[in-house]
Amino acid sequence: MPLNRDVLWYKDAIIYQVHVRTFHDSNGDGIGDFPGLEAKLDYLQELGVSAIWLMPFFPSPLRDDGYDIADYNAVHSSYGTLEDFRKFLQSAHDRGIRVIIEMVLNHTSDQHPWFQESRSSQDNPRRDWYVWSDTNTRYKEARIIFLDTEISNWAWDPISKSYYWHRFFSHQPDLNYDNPAVREQMWNVMEFWLEMGVDAFRLDAVPYLVEREGTNCENLPETHAVLKELRRKLDEKFPGRMLLAEANQWPADLRPYFGDGDEFHMAFHFPLMPRMFMAVKLEDRKPITEILQQTPEIPTSCQWSLFLRNHDELTLEMVTDMERDYMYDTYAGNKTMRLNLGIRRRLAPLLDNDRRRIELMNGMLMSLPGTPIIYYGDEIGMGDNINLGDRNGVRTPMQWSGGRNGGFSTADPERLYAPLIQDPVYGYPAVNVLRQTETEHSLFHWMRRIIAVRRSTGVFGRGSIEFLYPASHRILAYVRRLGNEAVLVVNNLASTAQAVELDLRQYKGNILIEMSGKNIFPRVSDLPYLLTMGPYQFYWFRLRRI
Amino acid sequence: MREMIISELSQALYELARGFAHFLPRLIVMLILTFVGWVIAYVLRVALRSILRLIKFDKLSEKAGASQLLNKAALPSATELLSQFVFWVAWLGFILLGVSVLGILGLQDQIARFFLFLPRLFVAIFIMFFGMLAASFFSRAALLAAVNANVPSPRVLNLAVRSIIIIFVLSIVFEELGLAQHTMLIAFGIVFGALMLGLAIAFGIGGRDMAQRFLEKRFVRERKEENEDELSPL
Amino acid sequence: MAEESFLTDDFLRQLINVGEVDILVGLPTHNNAKTVGSVVHTIQSDILRCFPRERAVIINADGGSRDGTPELVTGVSIDDVRPASNLYALRTLHSISTKYATSPENGVALRTILAAAELLRAKACVMMSPESANIESEWLAKLLRPIYRDGFDLVTPTYRRHKFEGLLITNLVYPMIRALYGVRIREAYTPEFGFSGRLGSQFLGQHVWNDGSGGDGVELRFTLAAIMGGFRIGQSFLGGKDHIERRGADLVPALRETAGALFSTLEADFPLWSSVVGSKSVPTTGADPKALLEPVRVNRKRLRDMFSTGVAELDSVFQSILSPLTLAGLQRIARLGEEEFHYPAELWVRTVYEFATAYQKSVISRDHVIQALAPLFRGRVLTFVIENRNASADEVESNIEGLCLEFERLKPYLLQIWKSRE
Repeated sequence: MPLNRDVLWYKDAIIYQVHVRTFHDSNGDGIGDFPGLEAKLDYLQELGVSAIWLMPFFPSPLRDDGYDIADYNAVHSSYGTLEDFRKFLQSAHDRGIRVIIEMVLNHTSDQHPWFQESRSSQDNPRRDWYVWSDTNTRYKEARIIFLDTEISNWAWDPISKSYYWHRFFSHQPDLNYDNPAVREQMWNVMEFWLEMGVDAFRLDAVPYLVEREGTNCENLPETHAVLKELRRKLDEKFPGRMLLAEANQWPADLRPYFGDGDEFHMAFHFPLMPRMFMAVKLEDRKPITEILQQTPEIPTSCQWSLFLRNHDELTLEMVTDMERDYMYDTYAGNKTMRLNLGIRRRLAPLLDNDRRRIELMNGMLMSLPGTPIIYYGDEIGMGDNINLGDRNGVRTPMQWSGGRNGGFSTADPERLYAPLIQDPVYGYPAVNVLRQTETEHSLFHWMRRIIAVRRSTGVFGRGSIEFLYPASHRILAYVRRLGNEAVLVVNNLASTAQAVELDLRQYKGNILIEMSGKNIFPRVSDLPYLLTMGPYQFYWFRLRRI
Repeated sequence: MREMIISELSQALYELARGFAHFLPRLIVMLILTFVGWVIAYVLRVALRSILRLIKFDKLSEKAGASQLLNKAALPSATELLSQFVFWVAWLGFILLGVSVLGILGLQDQIARFFLFLPRLFVAIFIMFFGMLAASFFSRAALLAAVNANVPSPRVLNLAVRSIIIIFVLSIVFEELGLAQHTMLIAFGIVFGALMLGLAIAFGIGGRDMAQRFLEKRFVRERKEENEDELSPL
Repeated sequence: MAEESFLTDDFLRQLINVGEVDILVGLPTHNNAKTVGSVVHTIQSDILRCFPRERAVIINADGGSRDGTPELVTGVSIDDVRPASNLYALRTLHSISTKYATSPENGVALRTILAAAELLRAKACVMMSPESANIESEWLAKLLRPIYRDGFDLVTPTYRRHKFEGLLITNLVYPMIRALYGVRIREAYTPEFGFSGRLGSQFLGQHVWNDGSGGDGVELRFTLAAIMGGFRIGQSFLGGKDHIERRGADLVPALRETAGALFSTLEADFPLWSSVVGSKSVPTTGADPKALLEPVRVNRKRLRDMFSTGVAELDSVFQSILSPLTLAGLQRIARLGEEEFHYPAELWVRTVYEFATAYQKSVISRDHVIQALAPLFRGRVLTFVIENRNASADEVESNIEGLCLEFERLKPYLLQIWKSRE
């Protein structure tokens, strides 16, 4: 199935986030690799995803999970070769699946040859590729991001006897974007992958590219200029490719990154995600509707990216203290689960493995305005291991079967890059792809079906949203419209059955057709439309006028 | 001549005996009726007394203020009185019935009238009783209201209310009994009207200011000058 | 049993939309636009601050206001339909209103709120008064916390009041309830109190609504129901009391709602209170309220005159209510001048007990019994004022305590006359 040629393909996409290391090991060394990933593309095609987002797979000392890159134009030896990647890319495209890769623009590893050269002497041609200073007092207003580990944004380099600038770990020196050579080189890097066929980049840490004295060095106009330039070149040579911004900011502060449709195509909507969890616990739609009311309009070619979980902790940076305390108390009672300002758990354990709640959250993910991202393993309800350090608890091997190593690898279990989940509830004998593909009403098949419904219409990816505000605050209801098509989505956020009356007078005369079973529901009239909902139930209704 | 006298005498005696024989059965019937009537009346009295005791009629009459009156008149309690009354009326009824059997002309009509009169008598008594109850209740209510509103001469008001109601009740009772019907009603009308007119004049002219303040106190609650020294009880 | 439900369809629909709540605030109103605004804002901020995670609702039972009071109350709700509010709240705060009648009736207002509490399965409820001109923050929390967190069923307030205020409470209601029911609740009759859902449901199910007393003093009967039902009762100090003097400004209606309500329950509750001996205090949180002492003008002559007039003019009435000894005592006092006036505690207690008994036997109309008490109460007020005119707060308190002990001491007398009049 060839890729569709629509330049706005990302608006209808269903993205699957995965780290190649975790998915499937083909050579028995205990670490997932590209041939292994390629072998499992049929599974992803069956699930119905249309794009894969890969975590960083470049050569790297792996001191920041691969985000410290030592070579931009190669593949880490543990995951395979560049050729393996090319083959995987081709196989994905053959199945109509696009590939999104990471691109860390802001900084490199200090093991990168460029930095080695840059620090070697003050006269080195690449000296100016990084941000050096004789003192550590410049850019005082810039905040420190990794407060737990760093005490300054400047680090002393004993070799060149000067300070270098790093917004993240001290082993990740920032590149100097005031240097045209740097900008040129980074475009070349991107071009390298684009020519190979990569469809999109997730650009990491974009607010911090440029520094200026007297500012907080974030979101500066110069940074936007750099990004616009990259976008312009992209559109010129590779139309139809996409840039996704990773910027953990409030929606209003994120708006400039879309420009006038001339900067990023997509950006993550970070603040919505914790509020979805909060709304379900509070049994009140208020957190969701409020954040979406505050979300600004974006250019028509742009798109928000929505997600329930990812490789990081469930971040609680974009909530108030009261909300954070509430989330901690209700979702992370065990303090081991808390990390930085977030909760490091997978979707199923967060929702107590409650199938109804898992379905409700996925239903909202698929029906709210934006492109949904599914984190690998959440489609079968994988669990986590909070006793593994840092965020490794949510990055355990994919569980394919109940057999040895969960079907992930033929290696000795001790050699696996991380131990498998083994508890009776979430362990690989109980939760695995093989069992779920064979069971008609497994979570996998439910996900497959809802993805199919979502993909059957463009209204979810491209349509507008209008909230209905029924008097019962436990019901989240909205209408998605695109042209003549309209879909009514009604979600019961409560754990108890509800009766709700909706004011649908403006859709009077429409017949409601429930989208998964295709059954007809009563026609809309002037009277309030009464729906009775079971616990955590949701409906998608196509509004059809015949 | 002697035979004529004897013949006349025997004739007269014969007629007397005949008349007597004619009359005696009726007398006996009358006596029987009287006796039966006494028994029935006695039963009625006992039954009524029990019923009245059951519904605590004495208490009711105490409320009516009737008990006090009876006490003052050295009469027995209301229950007792009513039972006795019913006894006498019932017995009297039977006696009169017996008398009517005697067939004495002229008496029949009166007896019939008596029986026609009885229901109205009972109604009148009924009205009287409850009228006095009402008089007692309303006059006491007026008394209490007057005392609590610090109106001067509350007892006068009490008496006035009681009197008016009693007079009104009496006039209805008399009308019911058919005694001096219109006279009583007219008299009541005159007295009541005069009283009201007098009050109106007194209020309007003499009590203008007081009336004004009274109305203000009732309808304009913010003016609490008189009550500013009053402590709030709650 | 198809009875007319007294909840309107519209109100029921609103309740359906609110759903289950943890906290319910009841607010009966009638033309309170002047003060209700600040009251509801204090309620709202108390809820946001002290119970931010709890599901809460404000239920306004309105008795036909014509000054826009209900709109002021409902305007305080926080939801996503009106996002312009600059208040931050974790969840929706509902504020709904229903008109239960065209003119105010306390009994029906309370009943409406209790019905809502039961339907919404509220765990902790509180009744607030829309007239609290000086409501302070945390009043709500002080009444609710013991219920919501510590398992109490009824929390009555205590206030810092002027020593001469609320004498009907300190000289009759408090000591009598204490003596008869054995519980020391200072403010058993108050428009503000907290109660548990359990107690509310229980009271709702009682027949007090249909027994013809017309809902007079239903708050008092609520307190008595809590005592009789063995519920956990506590007190909480709120602050100064400054309710606009609409209720209780007239003595006779105040007597009806307090003494009347109290007397009317004695017959039914006889088996319970007759066996109680002594009294116990209830757990109290917050500071001990010391009486305010600033000098206040009292028209003593008027009090004395009304007492004497009452005794003289109502002689016929008193004869059917009081014992000859008590009546003689009153007549003697009535002849005293203002300076020597003294209505001793013992005589007052006997008076009250004899009135209670007369009320129960209905020697005259019960309402008349209550009205007849008014002039005698004025005499008692005069004595209290004289006794305490220079007293310190502690002395006032100890005088009230003395009166209470007198009520307790003479309880056997009450039992005796109660039985003898049968």
